[in-house]
Amino acid sequence: MDKKCLKTKIWTSILALLVAMPIFVVGFAWFLPEHELWQHFSTTLLPDLISATAILLIGVGAGTVLLGTVLAYWVVMVEFPGRKWLEWALFLPFSVPAYVLAFVYLGVFDYSGYAQIWMREFLGLPGFDIRAGSWAIILTFVFAFYPYVYMMARASFKRQKVSMIEAGKLLGARPIYLFFKISLPLSRPAVVAGLLVTLMETLADFGVVSLFNYDTFTTAIYSAWGDFRAVEVAAQLASLLVLVAFFLIYFERKARGEAKYYSTEVSNKKLYYANGLSGWLISLFVVSIFLLAFMMPMLQLLIWGWESIEQEWSVKYIDFIYSTTILTVVSAIITVVIATILALPGQCKTDSVWLTGIIRLATLGYALPGSVMAVGLLYGISQISVISVYFGGESINHIIFGSIFLLLFAYVSRFMAIGYNSIEAASKQIKPSLIQSARLLGASRLKLIWQIYIPIMAPGILAGALLVAVDVMKELPATYLLRPFGWDTLAIQVYELSAEGLFERAAVPALVMLLFAAILMGIFQYLDKKFFKTF
Amino acid sequence: MLAVRDLSITYQNNKVLDGFSLNLEQGDIFALLGESGSGKSSALRFIAGLDNAKGGRVELGGRELSIDGGHKIMPELREIGMVFQDYALFPHMTVEKNIAFGISHLRKKTQKLHVNALLEMVDLSGIEKKYPHQLSGGEQQRVALARALAPSPKLLLLDEPFSNLDKNHRDKLIFQVRDILKQSSVTSILVTHDRDEANMLADKVGTIENKHLIEEKK
Repeated sequence: MDKKCLKTKIWTSILALLVAMPIFVVGFAWFLPEHELWQHFSTTLLPDLISATAILLIGVGAGTVLLGTVLAYWVVMVEFPGRKWLEWALFLPFSVPAYVLAFVYLGVFDYSGYAQIWMREFLGLPGFDIRAGSWAIILTFVFAFYPYVYMMARASFKRQKVSMIEAGKLLGARPIYLFFKISLPLSRPAVVAGLLVTLMETLADFGVVSLFNYDTFTTAIYSAWGDFRAVEVAAQLASLLVLVAFFLIYFERKARGEAKYYSTEVSNKKLYYANGLSGWLISLFVVSIFLLAFMMPMLQLLIWGWESIEQEWSVKYIDFIYSTTILTVVSAIITVVIATILALPGQCKTDSVWLTGIIRLATLGYALPGSVMAVGLLYGISQISVISVYFGGESINHIIFGSIFLLLFAYVSRFMAIGYNSIEAASKQIKPSLIQSARLLGASRLKLIWQIYIPIMAPGILAGALLVAVDVMKELPATYLLRPFGWDTLAIQVYELSAEGLFERAAVPALVMLLFAAILMGIFQYLDKKFFKTF
Repeated sequence: MLAVRDLSITYQNNKVLDGFSLNLEQGDIFALLGESGSGKSSALRFIAGLDNAKGGRVELGGRELSIDGGHKIMPELREIGMVFQDYALFPHMTVEKNIAFGISHLRKKTQKLHVNALLEMVDLSGIEKKYPHQLSGGEQQRVALARALAPSPKLLLLDEPFSNLDKNHRDKLIFQVRDILKQSSVTSILVTHDRDEANMLADKVGTIENKHLIEEKK
């Protein structure tokens, strides 16, 4: 191995390992001495946690698959009134964080919400507790996360060969038979991939479950650290989540690998025309999903925001916006810089199984809840302090825990995959012949990076930065655990107000947050149009 | 047997077919020649009930299938088989399952007998358990043919089924297909832009010229 390669490998490995540090720490939590609190957690809480989490995952999984697949099939294969705009409108719920949806639903449909008041007063029906059981929280997650399945299933239905469905029709098969025998089996990998992302997001969620008072692993991890300051127990609980997440990642990769039956052409031909009543019924169903998942929550936020802006708005919002902006921008920059270094093409990299393995490890964070990241970091740092004190040095806890360093670290670890995937996809456009010709023209490695790699990868870097920024902006669990005093973000403000049941007031930071996301999108589109139209 | 009357098709506001009429008797093999964009595939798709037209009527075996450019009978009830240009085999099903797709209402045992007989006819016995991606282009084409013939259609449509094959292979296959079609005595329409192909396979040949069908003597 030449010297240059060795240097590249060492530096890239260090960078990737650093990003993957929280995962390692949590993974090794089982080697820790047993904490007495673990006994309490494992005997009294763990069985309930497991069953509650399993019910949630099964319910959300079944719901998102059903809704996402059916909606995707209709918009791709069937022509019905309003199909064109609904096809795009169904993506919009993506922009609303799940916990915002949750507090709007709680505000509207809870016992004291006007939906139930109306039901009791005008229909004479008895009221019910929306937090009882798990159906309401499952529905909330389904409306928040169905776009994952919808997006992937839609793309896959679009790439199915039209001639295959037509052949099925001519062989006498009815639409429903064709759906189950041809369309669905061919889209299975895409639907499964969407389902697994949904399950990872559900598992990672902190906001929705705590607003609904529904105990899952994430709330238990928070409780172990937040209430008991037992970081070992938190890490051990987190490691169980890591295990589940690894399973999910494994199956997701497998599902993607199986997706080989696609045509490269995208077809917009509609195979069925739902005329008359059936068409209107489909429209009615799709519109009601859109209303429930997006339109109603947005309108409600606007109404609440309008009513409470005077009471809620104050100078402290300048601080929230400032914190959110700094954290978003800084973590997006750090993430894309590291992701770019990891994704830069190079012979040394492609030749090394070890290096590709570590890079993959560094991008696993996305499947892990922010709380796991946070616990991994807290534990890692506290152990470094213990070692440092053991050798007569000083604890670094007080320096690290009071700064935003840990929080930024957690964001970078958690969202590395998003930045990396986007940048790596762009780096695939750099053909080997391009590199070879630049080299033959005498370009040094540095010149190659600055003048060839970066400009070609720039649209991917920009897109990666935007995606990371949007995710950091709405991130809740890691921020909640790791934010230093005075660093409350808009997401934290939304959560804290809604956790106290102050839904009207929580609408204000939620709207500011959505506006913030819209501005980020605007900047992205402007830059993309201005600089990269040629790509 | 098959009667197509006054078919007119427009494509992006351009009339490509106008007053296209065709009559075929039981067991006829007809080749429809035309340049690309001449509307020959569109005519086939209208007969199959897959696309609408501006005007035109289709009657098959005394049953009115389409009228005024719209369809009275849906494709799944027309008893028309079709071999597509890309074969459109179902990639997640074995050869056996592909062929049995159109006869799934029959008993399993009967299905199996049918499939075996068809595989023998297309000279592919023994590949029942293979998947489409494990077959050569010619084999895929014959499986597609067997699948289309399985429900014993009254009419078979072949949409440029030889265009993806190399010449040597193709000539041999055309004669094979002709034998199979004659053996099953199914009325067939082949759409192609290749005159040799048309002459080798068909009893009757017609060309689309100036939006009309001109039947040729063979």
